[in-house]
Amino acid sequence: MPEKKITCIVCPMGCEATVVVQGNEILKAEGLECQRGKEYVAREIKAPMRDFFTVVQVRGAKVAVCPVRSTKPVPKGKLAECSRELADVAIAAPVKAGDVIMRDILGLGVDMVATMGVEQAAEEEGGRR
Amino acid sequence: MNEDVDVAIVGAGAAGLAAAVRAKETGAERVVVIDRNSELGGILPQCIHTGFGLHYFQENLTGPEYVTRFIEKAKELGVQVKTDTMVLNVQPDRSLLTANSREGLVRMKPRALVLAMGCRERARGAIGIPGSRPAGIFTAGTAQRLMDVEGYMPGSKIVILGSGDVGMIMARRFSLEGAKVEAVVEMLPYPGGLPRNVVQCLEDFGIPLLLRHTVTSILGRDRVSGVVIAGLDENGTPMPGTQRALDCDTLILSVGLIPENELSEGAGLQMDQATGGPVVDERMQTSADGIFACGNVVHVHDLVDHVTETGIKAGEGAALFAMGRLPPLTSRIPVVPSSGIRYVVPQVVSGDNAVTLFLRVKSPVRNARLSVGNFTVPVRVARPAETVAVKLTEGRIRALAKGKEIPVSLEVTS
Repeated sequence: MPEKKITCIVCPMGCEATVVVQGNEILKAEGLECQRGKEYVAREIKAPMRDFFTVVQVRGAKVAVCPVRSTKPVPKGKLAECSRELADVAIAAPVKAGDVIMRDILGLGVDMVATMGVEQAAEEEGGRR
Repeated sequence: MNEDVDVAIVGAGAAGLAAAVRAKETGAERVVVIDRNSELGGILPQCIHTGFGLHYFQENLTGPEYVTRFIEKAKELGVQVKTDTMVLNVQPDRSLLTANSREGLVRMKPRALVLAMGCRERARGAIGIPGSRPAGIFTAGTAQRLMDVEGYMPGSKIVILGSGDVGMIMARRFSLEGAKVEAVVEMLPYPGGLPRNVVQCLEDFGIPLLLRHTVTSILGRDRVSGVVIAGLDENGTPMPGTQRALDCDTLILSVGLIPENELSEGAGLQMDQATGGPVVDERMQTSADGIFACGNVVHVHDLVDHVTETGIKAGEGAALFAMGRLPPLTSRIPVVPSSGIRYVVPQVVSGDNAVTLFLRVKSPVRNARLSVGNFTVPVRVARPAETVAVKLTEGRIRALAKGKEIPVSLEVTS
């Protein structure tokens, strides 16, 4: 039976769980001290989710890129694909914090939004185009 | 020359902005924040990851989102900002000499001063790695700025020395942007950063964390072509026969942060060797009347939320001092780190006010007892990477502050 080691990150205790899994089912979990830890490990086995954030290119601004984040966590296994999806995206300044940069990324029901405003560069400042 | 300023704040990062906002809210009229950068926010605009504000806002924010709230609040309250301005020195009487290209040299004597310069990264010179000097060696924060503000990729095959939080966070960013992180190499037998970063930045991407290892040589002439790593024995000495070369084009250093205190030292403030920052009391006032300090200039924090809290205290104290309404402390009792404890902040308490002590342990412990004077609390687990906070009520600290000093120690119970 495959055994997995999972470090619980719910609280500073950082319990080291040894989990026996069959497919997506947890047969046995040892080393966890609380219920929250058990729930965390169950989520990590069944459907681990992560915040996703990156930068996208921005044109016509003094800066080159604008930081963006997902409005909700995305499946851990989709992080790399999300990153590729945004790799070639370029937006035009000005950008306001909270502007939606991409709706429903990969059909995951999650939007990507700007986390910082980016001002438009004046012509003479030679903004990057 | 001699502008009429109530509270001047050096540094517009998380600490300085919190101090500015609170100073205004407390009633100081003219509050000025000075920063050498052209933008406000310090390091936070380049920290595009989440995890900020969980304590202070009970929300999971990115660095830019967290700091934007304080920038907007400061603007709304009429805090004045002087960007692109360097503070050249601070005198014990609170006068400062500033320089920028618009006004030249300007001397300022605020009624109260807050030091919030933050910290700097330790670089290659500070850790003495032998080898040639090719391009491709960056500190983690520089790499972060290159990628997430300036839009450049620092390399494609990367080794990271040191397992500090910024280094691990960059390991994840590199991986997601298509680079290969060969390994994170850590001298100590435990990771330098938070467990959640070990899990979500390294384990998620299958990046090996090599504990008790170090980089013994950097290879390459014009550009890094590899590094030599070695296992370390109990004394931290490279063990013969464990050396091996790792191919890479980039070496990232995440080997610690140092509070930036040239100004504090120049002002003759009493310093703490263990934190690298000025000694402060529970109101974040330094050894000089009317000079306060907050954030990473006092000690390197692991959470920005705590930085903000210290900024709030310093801003409030500074505003009250400027208005002549800060009562002097009735006594100054030293809080002294003893066995198992690296440092405690604040280093001085009066017993007049409730206080939260922030302390760092020397090495990881489980099941220990923390003693603050004769007051003890059980500690299930503590790691050097995470500060331990001990809240002391007004009654408790008043009782503890009756002695000559308050020793703080940690004892393993099982």
